[in-house]
Amino acid sequence: MRDIKLKSQRNLFQRFNLEMREHMPVAQQALVIACGLIVGLIFSALMLMVSGVSASDLLNEFIISIFTNSRNINAVLSFSAPLIIVGLAASIGFKARFWNIGIEGQVIFGAIGATVIANYDIGPDSTRIVLMALVAALFGMAWMILPLFLRLKLQVSEIISTLLLNYIAFNFLLHMLYGAWKDPVTSFPNSKIYDMSERLHKIATLDVSVSILISIVLVIVVTWILFFSRFGYAMKFVYANPSMAKAVGINFGIMLSVAALASGALAGLTGFTISAGIDSRLTQGFFVGYGFSGILIGFLARNNPLLVVFFSLMMAILMVAGQTLQVFYQIPFAMVQLIQATIVICVAASEFFIHHRIQVVS
Amino acid sequence: MDFLINWFSNVPQSAVSFALATLGLIICERSGVLNLGAEGFMLMGAMTGAGAVLAIGNPFFALLLAALSTGAMALLFGFLVITLRVNQVISGLTMVFFAQGFTTLVSTKMDWTNKAFTGVGKVNFGWLVDIPVIGKILFGQDVIVYLTVLIFAAAVFLFDSTEQGMRIKAVGENPEAADSAGVSVAINRYLAVVVGCMFVGLAGAYMSVVVAKIWVDGMTGGRGWIAIALVIFARWRFWTALLGAVLFGCVEALIPRIAAIGLQVPQYFMLMLPYVATLSVMAWSSLRRKSNGAPGALGKPFVREERS
Repeated sequence: MRDIKLKSQRNLFQRFNLEMREHMPVAQQALVIACGLIVGLIFSALMLMVSGVSASDLLNEFIISIFTNSRNINAVLSFSAPLIIVGLAASIGFKARFWNIGIEGQVIFGAIGATVIANYDIGPDSTRIVLMALVAALFGMAWMILPLFLRLKLQVSEIISTLLLNYIAFNFLLHMLYGAWKDPVTSFPNSKIYDMSERLHKIATLDVSVSILISIVLVIVVTWILFFSRFGYAMKFVYANPSMAKAVGINFGIMLSVAALASGALAGLTGFTISAGIDSRLTQGFFVGYGFSGILIGFLARNNPLLVVFFSLMMAILMVAGQTLQVFYQIPFAMVQLIQATIVICVAASEFFIHHRIQVVS
Repeated sequence: MDFLINWFSNVPQSAVSFALATLGLIICERSGVLNLGAEGFMLMGAMTGAGAVLAIGNPFFALLLAALSTGAMALLFGFLVITLRVNQVISGLTMVFFAQGFTTLVSTKMDWTNKAFTGVGKVNFGWLVDIPVIGKILFGQDVIVYLTVLIFAAAVFLFDSTEQGMRIKAVGENPEAADSAGVSVAINRYLAVVVGCMFVGLAGAYMSVVVAKIWVDGMTGGRGWIAIALVIFARWRFWTALLGAVLFGCVEALIPRIAAIGLQVPQYFMLMLPYVATLSVMAWSSLRRKSNGAPGALGKPFVREERS
């Protein structure tokens, strides 16, 4: 009985033989990933059509109106600034194999830091916005210290510790917004509106927010660090083979700490660009979706800062279109998250073809 | 005294969702598949469970449907991590995001959100519930609470005393050896992932169908992550996991009690308690021993040396 079963299984599998692929040319890899991306987009389009958006409307909302309407272009750019920074935050952590899943918590604390400065009018008016950015980065970094300590000293997985800290940060945010920082005018649970000197303004000549400038500068800095600095070179060892890295004299703990703290700082800055660049105050839901998007952008971009820009723009288009769909087609914003997850599943699945070769055996 | 009775009689309800989720995760992870998607599977179970009650009415049938739908989602997860050998961390996280989007979307479209319904009542033990002190705690619970203990016993029996349990443990500890002994790694991992995730989904459905009797977006509130931490705390053992779940049930059941007796503690700091407790437990359990008791092949996809 058992023998027969084994035989039939063998026959089935002999038609297809899986082989491990040692290496695939980069161009070919890109092609495979692009195919995965396209399959994901097709699935997403199907889901939207099932929810009642016709194909021509889809084309209109996702492509035509995004690229022709200047208000939409501006919306995409202002969304993409925090997305780029949060994507960098995820990437720099992943580069050291540090899974910073708690980006949302650091985003929250970054914005809390910025709001402390704004609310209590600390520092001179002219430079307050700079101080807000610095404190936001510092707060984001500070929120990383506990998981980093737990990881280095006690080998507690950062995946769970950073994630649990999200919930703690969120409850702390609510504590502040429903307590001391409640809006004094409307008594809604959001902080009082930032003064003009505490907001990120538009660059007059270009009609885009300063935050997009900040994000571009950060992309350049991170690119330099990862690809051209000694630190980035050492990080490559840490990523490829931690024990090898130790053998050639790279201090693993320091590398991990720097990457994790940088990740936290960037996440904190993300919080700052959202609260000072988009909302002009601290709200109770400003961070929603950014943590997830950051992880996703980091994964899709394979931790490459330049690709981070590309995928952030894509996410921003998705978010702007998602808002339109919400208003005009009554499709919940959760659809955006579902589309993001679908795209990641398809791209992750397509990597199978990078690492394997399927041969048909006659 | 009243405070203690009220507190402890609410512990089982809080503990069951932790217990079932942790049990499901252990089943899954004993086969070598790291499952970070617990929060997503719980959400899936919670939403489909509540939806099924609203659509059909019978809560027990709803629990079954919730488990089945989570099983379907687990097939997708299994396909990614077992067949396509995708990174298990990314796959697990994606399951969470997928479920967050999917449950919110479907429940909004179907108009299931924030709709209260009648769930499952308490088991009637007659006069037993009137026994002072322990009566309400031991005999004032719903049927799932008692079933959970049976499920744990069954799982322990299955893993320790049956061939199937041995196979799952074998593919989790040493898939190469299991494979050369003729045990299919893929089939046993699929089995463990699907069955395990069904229990995780059941845990979520218990929250919506039995405890809250309502579906709210994202209602699992991080319990899936706490369950993952509990697996580590329990070192992948069933009875220890039940103990951990009861411990967390105590913490969770304490929160409304503190408020009820009018103790002035800031509300949101109380709500942080389970997460702080989880972090402390994780730190503590890594302090205890050097080896953490994880299955040998946890998180590693199995790649057989291909033969022609």
